[in-house]
Amino acid sequence: MRWTFATGTIIPVFALLVLSACSTDYDVTEVAPAEHLVTDEHAGHDHAPGEPCYETDIESEQPLTGEETTSIDEEREAAHAGHAHDEGDRNHGTQWFFNQPWAAPFIWGKLVRDSLVFLALAVGIFFATRKRSKR
Amino acid sequence: MKTVFTFSLMTLRMLARRRTLWGILIVIFLALVGISSVPSFDVGNQGRFILDFGLFGIEVGALLLALGLASNLYPRDRETRSLMPLLAVPLARWQYLLGRFFGAALVQAAALIVTCLGLMLILLFHELPIPADLLPATLLIIVEGWFLLSTVFFFSFIASPPLNWPLTTMLFVVSQMSVSEFVGIMPSAPGFMRFVRLLLPHADVFHIKDPIAHGFEIEPVYFIIAIFYGLCYAAFMLSLALALFRGRDIK
Repeated sequence: MRWTFATGTIIPVFALLVLSACSTDYDVTEVAPAEHLVTDEHAGHDHAPGEPCYETDIESEQPLTGEETTSIDEEREAAHAGHAHDEGDRNHGTQWFFNQPWAAPFIWGKLVRDSLVFLALAVGIFFATRKRSKR
Repeated sequence: MKTVFTFSLMTLRMLARRRTLWGILIVIFLALVGISSVPSFDVGNQGRFILDFGLFGIEVGALLLALGLASNLYPRDRETRSLMPLLAVPLARWQYLLGRFFGAALVQAAALIVTCLGLMLILLFHELPIPADLLPATLLIIVEGWFLLSTVFFFSFIASPPLNWPLTTMLFVVSQMSVSEFVGIMPSAPGFMRFVRLLLPHADVFHIKDPIAHGFEIEPVYFIIAIFYGLCYAAFMLSLALALFRGRDIK
């Protein structure tokens, strides 16, 4: 069969990539173990009904008067000023930071797997197109 | 491999003489100086700001260097008819491609290291500490630059230089997206979009500016894995470029 770009390259590439070993995506949020994902931003602290959450900036749905707003602003400033976590604890709203590959060791194996697939493809394509090489 | 080495040195000397390289370097330095002069209004965060945006500037510089150095190499060789004598006797096609790639890769790596040193000087000038992982972070950007370089070579066999720029830039942007973000471009065909995403690299693998700016330590094994991933993907793109080049009738 005459080698063309379509038959010699695209088809093997697509065939290899759709193998079950290669078809698992590693979007960190999709493959992360439960302990890696902290979904409850209110974890670790409670609120009375109607009280705003100073740490996540989630406010109560009740309408506020002008005096209440000023009071809450002052309380919020005070809460942020004294906001502290134990060493090693994640801050609120930082899940995106820990969803990067450097912070997700559970996808490193998948990275190595994909690297080997791409390397095998590169070697395969190099030798598959070698015979028809023109000088 | 000696032939490839010799040809890559010839390419290196040729690229070093071009004004494009020096023009892009000046642009990167101006950008870094500009970034460092933007006040963060917080002494504690000034270092983070410079590091974060500085490394982003170097990454964009890697894209500009890849395009500026390589998009015109093959088309110019063909246009000036210097390709035929090269391929007639001394070089096989794979040797030509690897020689051009290694020459451009060396120039690009040297330029990126110089910009990293420039970023260090800016940090020193502002009396800010230089993080230990700044050089490894630059190394990852260099590997990302090599992947971009191989992409530019691939596109140079199917598109003209003016079209190469937007195509490579588009791939650069798309490869920064996560799978879910990519599927979000066309949510009506999630299966198709996931399949296409499989072919694209995960450029976020090369991004460690956030942990560096915030003082996080990165495990050394991660650097090895990320570099291996980048090199393998660059080899894959080069093999596709070679497949195109080998099928091309050059007359």
